[in-house]
Amino acid sequence: MSETTYTQLLQLSAGLLLLCAVLIVWRRSLGAHIRLLAVQGWALAGLVAVLGLHEHSAELLWVSVLVATLKGVVLPAVLARATASDRTRAREETPLINTTAALLAVSFLTMLAYLVSRPVLALGSTAAVAAVPVGMAMALFGFLVLSTRRHAVSQLIGFLLLDNGIATVAFLTAGGVPLVVELGVSLDVLLVVLILRVLTSRIRTEYGDADLDDMTELRD
Amino acid sequence: MTPVELALDTQLVLVLAGVVAAIAAPPRLRSLLAGVLSALLGLAGVLTGAWALAGRHGVVELPTALSLGPVTLDPTPLGGFFMVVAGAVGAVAAVFAIGYASGPAASRTSWVALAVFLGAMQLVPAAGDLVSFLLMWELMALASTVLVLTEHAGRAEVRTAALWYAAMTHLSFVLVLLGFTVLAHAGGGIDWASMSRVDPTSRTAAVAFLLLVAGFATKAGVVPVHVWLPRAHPAAPSHVSAVMSAAMVKMGVYGVLLVSIRLMPGGPAWWGAVVVGLGAVSAVYGILQASVASDLKRLLGYSTTENIGLIFLALGTALILRAHQVSAAGDAALLACLLLVASHAAFKATLFLGAGSVLHATGERDLDRMGGLVSRLPVTATAFGIGALGAAALPVTAGFVAEWTLLQAVIHGGRPHDRMVAVTMPIAVSVVALTAGLALVTFVKAYGIAFLARARSDGAAQAHEASPSMRAAMLIAACVVLILGLVPGALAQAAARAVGLPAGSAVTQVGFTHLGARLEPLAVLVLVGVMVTAVALIAKAAARKVPRREVELAWGGGGVRASARMQYTATSYAEPLTRVFDDALRPERDVVVTHAGESRYLVERVQFHQHVVDLVEDRMYRPMLTLVERLGVAGRRLQNGSIHRYLAYSFFALVVVLVVVAL
Amino acid sequence: MNGSVGVNVSAATFATSQVLVLVVLSPLLIGLMRTVRARLEGRVGGGVLQPWRDLRKLLLKEPLQAQGRSWWAMAGPVLLVSSSLALCALTPLLGTVTFPSLPDDLFVVVSILLLGSVALALVGLDAGTAFGGMGSSRHMMISALVEPTVLLSVYALSIPVGSSVLSRIVEARLDDPASVLSPVSLLALLALTIAVVAETGRLPVDNPATHLELTMVHEAMVLESSGRDLAWLEVGSWLRLGVLLGLVSTLLVPWGVATDLTAAGMLVAVLALVAKLAVAATALATVEVALAKVRLFRVPELMAGSFVLAFLAVTASYLVVQG
Repeated sequence: MSETTYTQLLQLSAGLLLLCAVLIVWRRSLGAHIRLLAVQGWALAGLVAVLGLHEHSAELLWVSVLVATLKGVVLPAVLARATASDRTRAREETPLINTTAALLAVSFLTMLAYLVSRPVLALGSTAAVAAVPVGMAMALFGFLVLSTRRHAVSQLIGFLLLDNGIATVAFLTAGGVPLVVELGVSLDVLLVVLILRVLTSRIRTEYGDADLDDMTELRD
Repeated sequence: MTPVELALDTQLVLVLAGVVAAIAAPPRLRSLLAGVLSALLGLAGVLTGAWALAGRHGVVELPTALSLGPVTLDPTPLGGFFMVVAGAVGAVAAVFAIGYASGPAASRTSWVALAVFLGAMQLVPAAGDLVSFLLMWELMALASTVLVLTEHAGRAEVRTAALWYAAMTHLSFVLVLLGFTVLAHAGGGIDWASMSRVDPTSRTAAVAFLLLVAGFATKAGVVPVHVWLPRAHPAAPSHVSAVMSAAMVKMGVYGVLLVSIRLMPGGPAWWGAVVVGLGAVSAVYGILQASVASDLKRLLGYSTTENIGLIFLALGTALILRAHQVSAAGDAALLACLLLVASHAAFKATLFLGAGSVLHATGERDLDRMGGLVSRLPVTATAFGIGALGAAALPVTAGFVAEWTLLQAVIHGGRPHDRMVAVTMPIAVSVVALTAGLALVTFVKAYGIAFLARARSDGAAQAHEASPSMRAAMLIAACVVLILGLVPGALAQAAARAVGLPAGSAVTQVGFTHLGARLEPLAVLVLVGVMVTAVALIAKAAARKVPRREVELAWGGGGVRASARMQYTATSYAEPLTRVFDDALRPERDVVVTHAGESRYLVERVQFHQHVVDLVEDRMYRPMLTLVERLGVAGRRLQNGSIHRYLAYSFFALVVVLVVVAL
Repeated sequence: MNGSVGVNVSAATFATSQVLVLVVLSPLLIGLMRTVRARLEGRVGGGVLQPWRDLRKLLLKEPLQAQGRSWWAMAGPVLLVSSSLALCALTPLLGTVTFPSLPDDLFVVVSILLLGSVALALVGLDAGTAFGGMGSSRHMMISALVEPTVLLSVYALSIPVGSSVLSRIVEARLDDPASVLSPVSLLALLALTIAVVAETGRLPVDNPATHLELTMVHEAMVLESSGRDLAWLEVGSWLRLGVLLGLVSTLLVPWGVATDLTAAGMLVAVLALVAKLAVAATALATVEVALAKVRLFRVPELMAGSFVLAFLAVTASYLVVQG
C-alpha cells in the first residue's frame, strides 16, 4: 500500500469516526445512536485494518476482525435488544442541555482535544499521530453524552463512545495493541455492557422507567 | 509656524469662538453661529489630522496654571487618523445640529458644551504627553456628560442615563490614570518617549496593559463595561449621540492602539488574546441585543458595542499574529482595525443623524410605532438606507470593505504556527460571520419597519421631512459611506501610514499581494449595475405593454381589509431570534388572557408584554449596586449629626496613629 | 497589456455563458425537481417545462400595486434578480478564468447573495401585511444562522489552497482530485450542502410547495406580489438555487470545468454542468420526498449541526497541514 493511499484511508476512517461521534451527540433517537455506534465500530475496525496493512502485522488484522465483530455487530445488537423491548421510549426526550448547546460544546471540545494532544503531535509527524486528536475528541464527546443524557441506554452509548475514543488513541499512538490486551479489554467492555443491560431491564421491570433522574430515588 | 501648528491654533481659537458665540449670540442666531463655528472646528481637526498623517510635524504648547507644565499638542500619524475621524464626525453633526437643536439642546449650556466636547475630543489624539492626554480626556468626558444631561428636565430616564454615564466614564478615567501611572513610574517620565522604554514583556507592563485596556474598553463601550452606552445614546440629543457613538468611543480604541502599537509594540501574544476575547464577546452580545431592540437609538447604541467589538477583534488578531510573526496577515488585521474605525464612524454618524431626523419628524424613537416613512421622508430614508447597508456590511459601502479586510486577515492568519493562533482564527471567523448575519437582520428590521409598509402611529403618518441643514448633513455622511466603500484605496493608504505600514498604490482597491487577495468595489458595482440595468430595461419594456395597476389591496393576507395594526412590528420581527437565543437573552414575558364571561374557550383580550433586559447589567451591576447601597445604609450609622461623635472619631484616629507610630 | 485584455475577454465570455446557461437551466431545474417529486409521489406532474410556461404567463401579466406600497415593491424584485444574475456571472461553474479586477472572492460572492436576501426580505416587509413580515422575519433569521456555516466551510476548503477565491479552490481540486475525498473536504461540503438547502428554502427548512400559514417562509414574502414582480422574485430564487447547487456540485465533482477558453472546453463544461445540475436536482428532490419539514425552532439545531461540521473541517484541516 502506497504512503498516500495509507494516509488517505487513515484520514477517511478517522473522519468517519469523528462524524459518527458528532452525529451521536446531534441525534436524539436511540435507534440512530445504535446504528451510528455500529458504523463507528466498523470505522474503527477499518482504521485498525489500515494500520495493520501498513505495518504488515497479521496480529493487527486479527484485532481488526475482533473489533468489527464486537463493536460493529455484537454490542449494537445487545443495545438494540435493550431498546427493542421498550418501544415507548426510543428517544432521548429531554437531555440536560439542548441539542444546540451540546453541538456548540462539541466544537469547543474538538478544539480542546486538538490542544491537549499537542504534546503527542510533537512526538512525530506521521499520519497516525496526526489523527490522535480525533480519538481524544471522541472520548470527550463520550463524556459529554454520559453527563448530559438521562436515558439509561444513552448512558451506555456514551460509555461506548468513550471506550471507542480511548481505543482509537491507543491504536494510533501505540501503533497496535497486543491481541491479548485488546481481547481482554473487549471482553471487559462486553461484560460491562451486558451487566448494565441486565440491570437496566431489571430496574425497568421494577420501576417501569429507565430515566436516571428517577433513579436518584434508589439510593434510599 | 508649520501648517500643523497653525491648524492646531485655529482649533483652539475656534473652540473659544464657539463658546463665545454660544454665550453671546442672540437666541435666534445662536444655533446658526455656534453650529457653523463648531463645524469649522471639525474641519480644522480634519485638516490637522490629514497633515499629521502626511508626515508633517508641529508642536503647540499651551501654558497652564497647573504645576504640571504646559499642555503639549504634537499629533503623530496615528493620532492624525483619529483626528480626521473625530473632526469629520464633529463637523457633520454640528451642521445637523443647526437645524435639529431646539429647546434645551439649543440652550447656551448645550452649545458651549458641544464646542468644548468637539474640541477636546479631537485634541485627545493630538496630545503630546500624558498630562495633556488626561486633561483632554477628562474635558471630553465632562462636556459629554453635560450634553447627555441636556434633556434632563423633561425626561426622568435622562437623569438615570447621565448618572450611569458619569459613573462609568469616571471609572474609565481612574483605570486609565492608574495604568499610565504604573507605566510612567516604570519608564521614568510622563512623556510618551520615556513610557515607551518599558519592556513589554515585563510584569509591570502587563499590569499597566490590563489597567489601560480596562479603562479604554470602558470608554469604548465593550462588554461587560458597556452598560452606559445603550442608556446614554437614547438620552442624548441625536447629534450628540452621533458624535459619541461614531467618534468618542473610538478614543478608547485610540487608547488601546496607543498602548499596544506605539508605546509598547511587541507585547506578548496573550495581550492579543485578551483583546480578541473582549472583542468577540462584545460583538456577539452587542448585535444580539441590537437585533431584539425596538428603540431605534438603543438599537444603534448596541450596534456600536458590536462594531467596537469587531474593532477590538481585529486589533487583538493583529497583536496575536504579530507576536507569532505572521506579519502579512497581522498587518492586514491592523489595517482592518483602522478601516473598521473609519467605516463605523461614517455609517454610524449617518444612522444616528437619520434616527434624529426620524425622531424630529415623528416624535417617535420606538420602531414599533413607525412605518411608511420612505415616501414622507425621502432624503432621510435614502441616507438611513445607505447607513444601514454600511452597518450590515453589504457592498458597496465602507462597512463591506472593512469587514472584507478583517475576514481576509483572519482566514490567512490561520496556519497552525501555534496553538493560540490555531484556536483563535476559526473562532474569530465564526464570530465575525455570526455577527454579520445578525447585523443583517438588525438593519433589515430597522430600515424595513421604520421606512417601508404603512404608518403604525399618527406621528408616523404625519411626518415631515427635515430642515435643509439636517438633510445636507445626512447626505454628506451617507456619501462618505459610499465613497469610502467605492474607492477605499485612499483610506487604506491613510490607515497604513497611520500605523507605519507600506501603503498600497491604487486608489480604487484594497489588496494584499502577500495574501493573494484584492477587492475592487467599483468592479462589483459595475457587475451588479450591468445586471440591474439589463433587468430594469426588460421590466420597463414590459411595463409599456402592460402597465402597473394600483388597487386598494392586492391580496391583503386573504382579508377584506388590512389594518396597519396587523403588520409585523419590530418586536414581532425579532421574535424568532428572541426564541432562538432565549438562553442568552432571557426576555421577561408576560401573557395576560382575559376570558369572555364564563367560558374558558372564548377569549376577549390577550395582552402580551415582552421586555428584554441587559443580562450583564442585571446580573453583574445590580448585585454590586445593591451591595454598595447596603454599605451606604450601614455607613449612615457612623454619623448621627452629633458633634461629639465626630470629635471622638478624630480623637480615636489620633490615638490609633500614635499607637502605630509608637510601635 | 495584451495578456490582460485576453484574460478579460475570456472571463467575460465565461461570465456571459454562465449567465445564459443558468437563465435557461434554472427554471428547467425547478421543473425537473417538481417532476421527480411528483413521480415519486405517484402523480403525473406538470412537466419539466412548466416553470418556463408559468414565467412567461407572469411576465405578461400586469402587476397589482396595493395603495401604500412604496417603490420598493417594484425595485426589490429587480434587485433580487440582478443579484442572482451577478452570482451566476461570478461563480466558477463553467470556467475558472476570472476578471483580474473582480476575482470571485468568497466574501464578495456571499455579500452579493445577501444583497438578494435583503431585497427579498424588504419586499416582504413592504407588503405591510402580517404574512409578509412573518416570512421576512423567518427568512432573515435563517440567513443569519446560515452565514457562520457558509463562511466556515469555505474557510476550511480555502486553508489547503491558501486563497478565498473560489476559482483557485476549484483549480486546486482539478489538479489534485484526491483532495476531494479528504475528510476536510467531505465535512466542509456536507456542512455547505446543509447551508445551501437552508438558504434556498428547501426541505427540511422550508417547504417550497406550501401555503400553510404556520410553516411558509419564502411563499409568505411573495404573497402580495403579482405579475411581473412575482416573475422576477421567482426567477431570482430559482437562479439562486441553480447557482448554489452548481457551486456545491462543482466543488464536489470539479471535472469538466474549463481552466482556459476553448470552444471544445466550453462545450464540455456546459454539458458537464447540465449533467451535474440534473443529478444534484434529482438527488435533492428524491431526498426531499422522504423528509418532513422540521419545526421552525428546530432549524437552529440543524444550523448548529452544520456549523459543528464546518468547524470540525477547519480543525481537521489544521491536522492535515500539520502532517
